[in-house]
Amino acid sequence: MQVYLDNSATTRPCAEVKALVAEMAEDAWFNPSALYKPALEVQKRIDRTREIVLQAAGAAGSRIVFTSGGTESDNLAILGHMRSRRPGSRVLISSVEHPAVSACADELKRTGYPTEEIPAGNDGTVDLTRLAEMITPDTGLITVMQVNNETGAAEPLEEIVQLRNRLCPEAAIHVDGVQGFLRVPMMFNKLGIQSYALSGHKIHALKGTGALIFARNHPVRPIQFGGGQESGIRSGTENTFGILGLGTAVASWHPEDCGRIRELKNRLWSEISRKIPSAQVNGPDPASNSSAPHILNVALEPVRSQTMLFALEGDGIYVSAGSACASRKQKVSPVLKAMGIPTARADCSLRFSLSRETTEEEILYTVERLAARYEMLKRFVRR
Amino acid sequence: MQELLLVRYGEIFLKGLNRPYFIRSLVRKVRYAVRGLNAEVWVHDGRIFVRGFSELDECIDRVTRVFGVHSVSPAVEMPKEDFDAICNQAIEMTKDLKGTFKVNARRSDKRYPMDSPAINEEAGYRILNANPDLKVDVHHPDYMMNIEIRDKAYLYVKSIPAVGGMPVGTNGNATLLLSGGIDSPVAGWMIAKRGVQINAVHFHSYPYTSDRAKEKVLDLARKLSFSCCGIKVHVVPFTEIQMAIHEKCPEEYTTLIMRRYMMRIAERIARQEESEALITGESIGQVASQTMTALGTTDAVVGMPVFRPLIGFDKSEIIAVARKIGTLEISELPYEDCCTVFTPRHPATRPKMEKILEGESRLDTEALIERALAGTEMIRV
Repeated sequence: MQVYLDNSATTRPCAEVKALVAEMAEDAWFNPSALYKPALEVQKRIDRTREIVLQAAGAAGSRIVFTSGGTESDNLAILGHMRSRRPGSRVLISSVEHPAVSACADELKRTGYPTEEIPAGNDGTVDLTRLAEMITPDTGLITVMQVNNETGAAEPLEEIVQLRNRLCPEAAIHVDGVQGFLRVPMMFNKLGIQSYALSGHKIHALKGTGALIFARNHPVRPIQFGGGQESGIRSGTENTFGILGLGTAVASWHPEDCGRIRELKNRLWSEISRKIPSAQVNGPDPASNSSAPHILNVALEPVRSQTMLFALEGDGIYVSAGSACASRKQKVSPVLKAMGIPTARADCSLRFSLSRETTEEEILYTVERLAARYEMLKRFVRR
Repeated sequence: MQELLLVRYGEIFLKGLNRPYFIRSLVRKVRYAVRGLNAEVWVHDGRIFVRGFSELDECIDRVTRVFGVHSVSPAVEMPKEDFDAICNQAIEMTKDLKGTFKVNARRSDKRYPMDSPAINEEAGYRILNANPDLKVDVHHPDYMMNIEIRDKAYLYVKSIPAVGGMPVGTNGNATLLLSGGIDSPVAGWMIAKRGVQINAVHFHSYPYTSDRAKEKVLDLARKLSFSCCGIKVHVVPFTEIQMAIHEKCPEEYTTLIMRRYMMRIAERIARQEESEALITGESIGQVASQTMTALGTTDAVVGMPVFRPLIGFDKSEIIAVARKIGTLEISELPYEDCCTVFTPRHPATRPKMEKILEGESRLDTEALIERALAGTEMIRV
């Protein structure tokens, strides 16, 4: 049996997307900027995709630019927006951000925009009290993520927006929605944030596809130059397969998927805690609303994550230790560290991430193998 | 006229009756190195030549990494009868040089109308006239324009140093204990450089180490494989032995006992491979299991020589070699190897043999080794 529980790393492209790619390769591979009719048809389909994605993020009427993925969307949102502000304007970045956001800090500092880290609380969301102290009149941008990629903690976006409105209404808010889009409701217009980044391959579309949604009056300057595609904000021939695939994946998503995924995640946790009483959750209570429906991060001391990961692989179960983006670096997760989790526990943490394809049978098999492996491996650890 | 590569080997190895064997072996290794470059390798007049290659720089890069090659020179081969043409070619080859030079003629064809001093004088005069940026210095020239008159004329300026050593296989076989670390690939490379064909043993502790860790070791072996003309890697399943040691032996002795099991298994594989020695990357005092006493206890289980070419090296010196041979960046990938997973907090630095033997007596050594050997997988890279 093969069980894939690493859907926060990437997801399997859905059947609709695979069919679309085959269809496009036959009939719709034209460059949308060309002047003849088949090209125009592709352009129209791209424009329809804009509407589909905007609608899904509660952002009808806002602007959207298609990109190569979450990293580019975040870079464009942060660097592209700050280029429109005077140097000296401050940027507040939450301490549990994905590197696609946090690594922008160096570039911002280099170009004259001081950045500061917003500390996180024990549940992995930003510390609102500290944030309130940090927002000052010269704050230009606040970036937080909708859902943390390692712990599944959902940020209290409404409270953050209220704080901003009260303390510095001119500051923009960027939300990295790569792990949240579709899985946690997003009402972009109603919420009053300025930009929102998302990625295709986390929702059963193709890799190399993403989008940045931003408010009509929110300036974003290009960070990539060329033929002026995407209203000049993102030059480069449109990734037509990826963009239409993104629209198709979004359209194939059913609101009830989230409820089912959450039920399975709750089942996963209740079974793990029943069979391995010493297991601990990293992040918010899995059943609460501040926990995304699809991510569960569990510490299984004293068994190190890498060991358990390889053991589960032997049973056909694929999970991750922290995030796949960081696992090549093999350092203790900065996210867990920022949450105040001791190194020894962080070192024994596994991330299970579910998708709408996950079944109950897979969950039960996973827990059974996990418990058996745990019993064996806990005897052989560094004394 | 034709461009070719002149390959030199160390004269020191050419004494005695083994000379033809040595040259034949080296030619095979050079052929192996330039495969895919359309090149032709042949021996003539006691020298190895490569010609017909498609990429000069790539060809030089590969040939200079063949053990047994001491230097190479990109050269021009041309008819020797027309001396004017030879001088014009020499002028062409020196036209961009600045500084001092001398012509170094050698005439093995004694029927040639000019002798070596006459060639030096005449060719030197013409080069000097053609290039105002050059001066003659016969004692310490910046450049040496070599003109050799043999069956044909051979001209070359540059001499590019190569790795040296002896052709792989001319000095027998040895078995390398290859972990994923920095040291063992360097140790293997150094022994292979002395003409030894190496094969490798790697201990794999699934699930404590991953397929990525194994792939990393194979990548290291692939890196060595070019110079070593192919390497067999034996991957030994080691988890059961490590767990048995961990459960039954005193903590401070687990690493040493583990090392002794590794040596025992490596020796058995070495005998199958007709190796005459084991190679490890140990260096005195680098870690607790590498104190002199500790090395003595691991040697005690082996009935063949154990070569430790890095024994007197500092870590920084080992790293410098690893960087040079291209294994460093692979070794630095962070996947755990079997040595680090079970490391005791306070390993014994002055181990007592009685305690080791007492610990091992709790294990069914022969059965453990048999099972590990039975599960061993051989991979050619």
